[in-house]
Amino acid sequence: MQEPEVRSKLRAWILSHAKSQPKSGLTDQTLILEEGVLSSLDIAEFVLYIESLRGDEVDVESLEPRVFANIDALYSSFFADR
Amino acid sequence: MDSTSVLADRLTKYSQNRVWDPHTTFEWPEQLTEGSWCMSPELISIYGTDAYEALDESQRKKLSLYEVGNFFSLVLQGERPLVQGLIHRLYSKYNTPSVTAYLHHFVDEENKHMMMFGEFCRRYVGKVYPEKKMVLPREYAKGEEDIAFYCKVMVVEELGDYYNAVMARDESVDPLIRRINRVHMMDEARHLAFGRQFLAEMFEKFRKEWSPETLAGFRSWLSEYLRSSWSDYYNPSMYRDAGLADGYELRQLALRHPVCTEHRRKASAKLVKYFLDVGLLEAEPSFVFSAA
Repeated sequence: MQEPEVRSKLRAWILSHAKSQPKSGLTDQTLILEEGVLSSLDIAEFVLYIESLRGDEVDVESLEPRVFANIDALYSSFFADR
Repeated sequence: MDSTSVLADRLTKYSQNRVWDPHTTFEWPEQLTEGSWCMSPELISIYGTDAYEALDESQRKKLSLYEVGNFFSLVLQGERPLVQGLIHRLYSKYNTPSVTAYLHHFVDEENKHMMMFGEFCRRYVGKVYPEKKMVLPREYAKGEEDIAFYCKVMVVEELGDYYNAVMARDESVDPLIRRINRVHMMDEARHLAFGRQFLAEMFEKFRKEWSPETLAGFRSWLSEYLRSSWSDYYNPSMYRDAGLADGYELRQLALRHPVCTEHRRKASAKLVKYFLDVGLLEAEPSFVFSAA
């Protein structure tokens, strides 16, 4: 899957699960947890979705919360080196 | 003496009379009983879907092993922060000596449960399924963190109790698995009795100090927590381990399926009624039981 498609899918998932719409729209730099777009309770489901896109499991125990900061961080943490 | 302390004293006596050793209570056979179910079919997460109907009996039984492995893993993973939180609360100034004395048994029993579930998963499933949750720091109103903690305890234990009760009496289920469910259920009956009363009293005490916004925010969090907890029962890794294709799609399908939705509603009924009666919820969180 190419980078633009991955980013687009991540964006779509976030918007469909958003608790509140980001003030100035969702960009790849929007701070999704800090701005309350998603909550910590969404992370487990989001990880499963990310795994389905990667085709590989994610070891949550080894992750820092910053990997969920925004779409840029998500892409570089989970997809960039694959 | 307050009513929670009276209850705690009574539960302490029960626990003292029912001490069990996880090393001697079970015999762990080389293999589970051939031809048995590992989880009652109606508890299997995709039960009632076309995907389940398409499986033959041997595939269903294979899936039931990974389903029970996921269930035991979920309870084990829920008990880890539970024990951590209970230990943190031992000798808290909010506890009477009777409550603290009972919390020691609570911790002891939860630790044994983790050993029991861990041993089962290691021997027969080959692993404990990892949790995908991540807890982020946040600010709480007075008493809110403790109340949230005991709500989480109630969710993991009440949902677990429903599954334990069904499997413990199902003669088609492997005898070891039935026994594990029975042992867990007997300890949990005491934990639940304590949790129901302690949480209700604590909520009654602190809610008066909460703003309407805090209360509404808490109720919204609790509904979300329940939804998130249910979602863990539909684990793509477990489907993959059972040899089923497209684990994530299967999960999404089951979460949306009306038979599965009704199962979640039925299994949560006692828990939701308690939350409604106490005022922790204002209405049944219908979205918990609808499509993900």
